[in-house]
Amino acid sequence: MLMGAKEEMVNHSSRKDEKKNCDSHLSRRKFLKITTLSGISFGTIGIVKKSHPQPSPHSLALRNPKGRWVATSCLNCSARCGIKVKVVDEKAVQIKGNPLSSLSEGQICPRGHIGLQVLYDPERIFSPLKRTQPKKGRGVSPQWKPISWDQALEEIAGKLRTLCETSCSNHLLILSGLNSRSHEDLLFRFAEAFGTPNLISGEGLDHEAEKTGRWMADGHFDVCAYDLDHTNFILSFGADILESTPPVSRWLRKWGKFRREKPIRTKVVTVQARYSLTASKSDEWIPIEPGTEAALALAIAYVIIKEDLLDHPFINKWSSGFEQYREIVFQNYAPERVSTITGIPTEKIYRLAREFAQIKPALAIPGKSATAWPGGSYTAYAIYCLNALVGSIDTPGGILYQESPDYRPIPRLIGSEITPKGQGQPSIDLHGTEKFPFAHVATNQIPQSILDGKPYPIEMAIGINCNFNMTAPGTGQWEEALKKIPFYVHMAPYLSEMAEFADLVLPSTTYLEEWGYDHSFPGAGSAEVRIKQPVVHPIGNSKSIGDTLFQLAERIPGGVKKAFEEIGGSSEGFVRFRTSSLIPWEEFLKKGVWGRAPYQYRKYERLFKTPSKKFEFISENVQAFYNKSGKKVREGIANFPHYSKARWLGEENQYPLILFPYQPLLTLENGSQNYPWAQEIFLPMQGVGWATPVEMNSETAKSLNLRDKDEVWIESQFGKIRTYVKISEGVYPGVVCIPSGQGHTSYGKWQKGIGCNPNEIIGIDFDMLSGQSAFYNTRVKIYKA
Amino acid sequence: MPRWGMVIDLDKCVGCQACVIACKEENNVPHGSPEEQRLRREIYWHKMIAVTKGKYPHVKTEVIPMPCMQCDHPPCVTVCPAKATFKREDGIVVQYYRRCIGCKYCMVACPYGARSFNYKSQEAKPYHHQDEPPDRKSWGPWPFPVRTQGVVEKCTFCFHRIDQGLKEGKKIGIVVVPAFVEACPSHARVFGDLDDAQGEIAKLLASRSSFRIREELATQPKVFYLSR
Amino acid sequence: MGKHYSTIEGKSKGYKIFITFLGIMFGVFILSFLVAYLKGQKVWGVSNIIPWGQLITFYIYFIGLSAGAIIISSLSYVFKREIYEPIGRLAVFMGILLMVGAMCFVMVDLGRPEKAWRLFMYFYLNNMSSLFAINSIFYTGYITLMLIYLWLIFEGKKKMASIIGTVDVLWAIAVHMGTGAIFGLIGNREIFFSPIKPFEFLTAALTSGTSLIILTTVVTFKLTQRAIKEELIFSLGRLLTGIILILFIMVFVDKLTHFYFPNREAVIYLFTGNYWWIFWIFQIGLGIILPLILLTHPRTRRSMKGVVYAATSVIIGVFGERAALVIPGTAHPQPLFPGKIEGPWGEPGIFPITPWETLLSLSIVSFVILLFVLGLRYLEILPARENEPISGG
Ligand SMILES: Nc1nc2c(c(=O)[nH]1)N[C@H]1C(S)=C(S)[C@@H](COP(=O)(O)OP(=O)(O)OC[C@H]3O[C@@H](n4cnc5c(=O)[nH]c(N)nc54)[C@H](O)[C@@H]3O)O[C@H]1N2
Ligand SMILES: Nc1nc2c(c(=O)[nH]1)N[C@H]1C(S)=C(S)[C@@H](COP(=O)(O)OP(=O)(O)OC[C@H]3O[C@@H](n4cnc5c(=O)[nH]c(N)nc54)[C@H](O)[C@@H]3O)O[C@H]1N2
Ligand code: SF4
Ligand code: SF4
Ligand code: SF4
Ligand code: SF4
Ligand code: SF4
Ligand SMILES: [Mo]
Repeated sequence: MLMGAKEEMVNHSSRKDEKKNCDSHLSRRKFLKITTLSGISFGTIGIVKKSHPQPSPHSLALRNPKGRWVATSCLNCSARCGIKVKVVDEKAVQIKGNPLSSLSEGQICPRGHIGLQVLYDPERIFSPLKRTQPKKGRGVSPQWKPISWDQALEEIAGKLRTLCETSCSNHLLILSGLNSRSHEDLLFRFAEAFGTPNLISGEGLDHEAEKTGRWMADGHFDVCAYDLDHTNFILSFGADILESTPPVSRWLRKWGKFRREKPIRTKVVTVQARYSLTASKSDEWIPIEPGTEAALALAIAYVIIKEDLLDHPFINKWSSGFEQYREIVFQNYAPERVSTITGIPTEKIYRLAREFAQIKPALAIPGKSATAWPGGSYTAYAIYCLNALVGSIDTPGGILYQESPDYRPIPRLIGSEITPKGQGQPSIDLHGTEKFPFAHVATNQIPQSILDGKPYPIEMAIGINCNFNMTAPGTGQWEEALKKIPFYVHMAPYLSEMAEFADLVLPSTTYLEEWGYDHSFPGAGSAEVRIKQPVVHPIGNSKSIGDTLFQLAERIPGGVKKAFEEIGGSSEGFVRFRTSSLIPWEEFLKKGVWGRAPYQYRKYERLFKTPSKKFEFISENVQAFYNKSGKKVREGIANFPHYSKARWLGEENQYPLILFPYQPLLTLENGSQNYPWAQEIFLPMQGVGWATPVEMNSETAKSLNLRDKDEVWIESQFGKIRTYVKISEGVYPGVVCIPSGQGHTSYGKWQKGIGCNPNEIIGIDFDMLSGQSAFYNTRVKIYKA
Repeated sequence: MPRWGMVIDLDKCVGCQACVIACKEENNVPHGSPEEQRLRREIYWHKMIAVTKGKYPHVKTEVIPMPCMQCDHPPCVTVCPAKATFKREDGIVVQYYRRCIGCKYCMVACPYGARSFNYKSQEAKPYHHQDEPPDRKSWGPWPFPVRTQGVVEKCTFCFHRIDQGLKEGKKIGIVVVPAFVEACPSHARVFGDLDDAQGEIAKLLASRSSFRIREELATQPKVFYLSR
Repeated sequence: MGKHYSTIEGKSKGYKIFITFLGIMFGVFILSFLVAYLKGQKVWGVSNIIPWGQLITFYIYFIGLSAGAIIISSLSYVFKREIYEPIGRLAVFMGILLMVGAMCFVMVDLGRPEKAWRLFMYFYLNNMSSLFAINSIFYTGYITLMLIYLWLIFEGKKKMASIIGTVDVLWAIAVHMGTGAIFGLIGNREIFFSPIKPFEFLTAALTSGTSLIILTTVVTFKLTQRAIKEELIFSLGRLLTGIILILFIMVFVDKLTHFYFPNREAVIYLFTGNYWWIFWIFQIGLGIILPLILLTHPRTRRSMKGVVYAATSVIIGVFGERAALVIPGTAHPQPLFPGKIEGPWGEPGIFPITPWETLLSLSIVSFVILLFVLGLRYLEILPARENEPISGG
């Protein structure tokens, strides 16, 4: 009946409209009856469908087919590209890149277009929902009851006020995934004013090891930007530059540029255990024993130093610790030895090193898959040092130092505004403690901390744009932790897996309906800001995260309320306020992009934030940390780049295979995959959509007695998942690959029940230095289902 | 009269499939479902295939984006009894839904799998839109809502963009290009007049080795690939 | 007997039940057509890889049967072979009905059957290089000629009948070769592409047509208690043996041509791919080997049963031959690029047997049978029984 109502709407006539209304009445009554009488879970479906204000598709833009183009920005991944959306009769109908954006020269990746299906996802929610089923768990219907915004906000504010009053403001946990910068800023302010140290982002799943590795070398805790317009050689250590390495759109655009739009064609070598799309497009693919990238990087350094292919001026003038580094390299990383570790022939290492040093300028790029390991910081450090050896630091064709835009500063909070108790407490992710000494955030520590109730219990949590019980390794533990949180509020446009555990869900707008400002993940070097403005009215009763925060702050008298005064009053006002230092508002609205003057190279005097003010081959930052904390540099927490043997989760004799998850280009980073355009062409290299096969090469398959398309179980210590086998020749022997992004269980006609989620069987482990979650060190076994 | 054609540089192409999506977005091409993929009933005007050779570690996969090849000698046109698919003067092979009787002969005869049949009626989506030009007076294959189940469809080389661009006196191939050229992030595609000896296409073809798919069939595709 | 023909009475219980059944099947025909017409061809097994399915298989099969029947009729009316006279009218009548059936099949297979008129806008709105357009001329002419032919026979205008019959036979040959050309001229489908495809079609048409005449004659004569001259059947059997041999040579040459040169993937697919059984069991086994054995083995060669079994086997086998062309012919993935094409584009197509398509096919077959049975009731097609009162002539 409900579906019927939906189809009727397509026919777009007022009489049908009436009919639909009365249908929804029926459904509502039916829903109430069912929930009250039997408690059968009709809830989610009934409510979601009912409250769906049908966008009527058939007004097919007939009046003004030309439409207008509105500038805004994408949020399907952290690149946050500037985009333009064609709006016809108040419907978004087409998306393209904003040519003014220098990040990708106005190009977008395929996911940019999918914004249309994000915005018009037929299963979005449009009303705050309250849980009526006290039991929580996967597959347990929460029996949602729609409530008003007023009621929902009051309920949340009430709880928050109680926390404040009992001086337990640190017992509030805020989890945040990928967000607009403006929303991140607001969230930060909210947390600070409220007095909780527990604003936890998903970055602990991202590139923390890479950042830490770089920080050890040059003091910048960030990932690198690369000068792709001028580089002539790219050596990628597991960076899937054409599929996931952010900012994706930049890589896609610049690939075309550096291959054929400059006099010298850039050579690309990809070192990776999986023959990815990137590897297939590269000039050379070098399969490597998983988790041994650091050894390879150091062996390359060995050759470069031995054969004196160094950039002496840079090393002499702008680096420190080189001699000690050279000794370490000479002693331990002769290519002959490293060859046995990495499985790469010695000659190949020599050749690679020579090419890398001689084809200038060259870049060595760490991928997440090389660094999201225990010890990954050192891998990142080792790879980063290669750039210094050949002088690719802040030079044309080398590493760029990403500038940040000078937004108008937000007024500082005055001491008294901060709720006293929460401040000064440690964060429950234990970053900066002995466990994760250099970490800024250790996202995947959260479930353990919640379950242990240590260092203190969490009484309330708010989750914003995250879906950690699906995207983080150890999904089971996340679910247990979410169950344990007494009051959990989830804000999102749809009911993804994490929302299933919420007590209250607030329907947020998608990025195409809200105000904000954004700047990219490091990429172009020079600063750039993009506007985010609603291209269409928020559909239904959805509200942006920004406005929700403003309205929530309103209801929490004291510090929080005050903190949100005088910063614009609404998410739109906030954007005006923050960007007023950059560009006139009308111009910003129209152009959508503000960019700063061209990038300046070789700013070595003010570049390095290390104690020596130089590039450090031996990290004085680490040294300083231990001097400060009165400890000696210990084994395992060294101050120099090195390779250590991988720590595996699972015994080799029991779990003979290594599980490699990877993110195909069409995995959207928005907690949902309910987008047919992405789903039907999900795995281009395998030529299939709507699926996540487990890939292995034919020898591996033969040894396991498996054939193409066999249904199998993949089992680790932590659980098992089921899928089918795809023989892909380009997988390292003994390794199996599963794409991530599928295996949704909560909602979505186009995603639920499709494929499997490797995170269900990946264990929780870290690179201890950085708090980076490890993804690639889980061992598995595979057998026929 | 120009002869529109295209070059796809496989060295620049990153296999991102933005072209596949952009075409659906531009032309309201219906999306598929798991069921339809299994039964091979998805509609693609533009598809991408991956072709593998060799065994580990000497494996080589090539991804090849494939629109309709806009054959100069199109077998689909030869076999179409109803003149529903025909070659325009500028060489574009178009598909005229209103004439198509759905005999599917063209699908059998197309050597590139470029044609799809509508196995069900098109579902209208909020983001569907009328195509330019909105000129309803000309009884062309356009606009979108006219297509129903039972007819065959395929890539039109975005002729609606070209026609509109010509009308507005814009430069075709530079300012006005098919949707997937515009969307191609790596600029792997160049659209233009094959007969223009000074044109970008002529230059590219002269500079590197190129091929066309299934050239041995003499269909004379107007889509060229630059080898890596 | 010989010059006299009669209708059947249609009073038996069996006849009534049969007619009722066929009437119901006619309803099924309309229903299953409407389902596909309104819901789209998603209810069938066809796909973008195998765009032509059961209906096109039946369509070319029926054209073959029709052409075969007409050519057999010529033995009586053109070549004046006395012995074939009892089945002359039957053959012509069947030729017409089978053609009507074929037209039903091809029309309902169209995605937009209401636009079928476009096929007949010769030179004006349609494209005369299309074999569908060319064949539509053949088909219309063919049906017209057959109707005239039958009318002349009924009127007893033997001279004219023999002239029109000659034209009709030639025309039937053209019809069927034209149908073969629909496939044989398609250069991108290796299994189709062959200059002898039209001739192979023609030969297959003769084998299946002859067999169907044998079977129909035996069945209708038996059911209507008419006496059959065994010699008639045996002579048809001998004829059949000859044509099957020719067919065998044609198929052999065709496949050999495809197999000999190294680009033999398509044929290898036909022989060993997921539809190998259509080719080996049906086309070769039932269509050629089994009937050849039955027709040459001294025991079965001169027994009614043997010949009838051989004919039945051919009827099934030639259907298999058509299917082995239509389905694997397109199921084999096109070699878009050298190497192994990943995913569905490199996998052979699958053709599920779906209820609505099967019902539609079967109900069109029933419809033809219905017309046939009604024809027997109202037209003087069968030779009169010996004790029957003579009526007309
Ligand atoms: N196996 C494996 N797992 C991985 C990785 C891997 O490489 N392998 N990568 C990891 C990495 S790097 C990361 S960053 C994490 C990402 O993991 P998360 O940070 O959890 O991100 P998503 O799963 O994308 O969830 C985004 C949430 O935002 C909401 N949302 C989406 N779009 C919008 C919008 O427009 N507006 C608003 N208000 N809300 C929106 C959605 O409802 C969803 O709940 O995944 C990790 N998981
Ligand atoms: N399409 C898409 N792109 C995204 C995202 C997304 O969700 N979808 N998310 C964005 C985010 S938040 C992040 S953090 C980044 C992450 O992006 P990346 O840093 O690129 O990380 P991954 O894609 O997880 O892994 C890269 C590749 O390394 C391979 N690999 C696995 N193990 C090893 C190993 O031991 N050694 C080597 N050398 N290779 C290995 C994997 O198979 C994979 O192909 O992507 C961003 N871009
Ligand atoms: S790279 Fe990321 S932000 Fe840019 S268009 Fe693609 S998904 Fe959107
Ligand atoms: S959009 Fe361009 S780069 Fe991407 S797959 Fe298509 S042709 Fe290649
Ligand atoms: S299906 Fe349509 S376009 Fe194709 S041949 Fe038949 S009438 Fe022509
Ligand atoms: S590629 Fe196929 S559809 Fe396109 S013109 Fe050539 S034969 Fe026709
Ligand atoms: S030219 Fe236009 S219609 Fe053809 S595939 Fe490209 S985008 Fe689609
Ligand atoms: Mo990430």
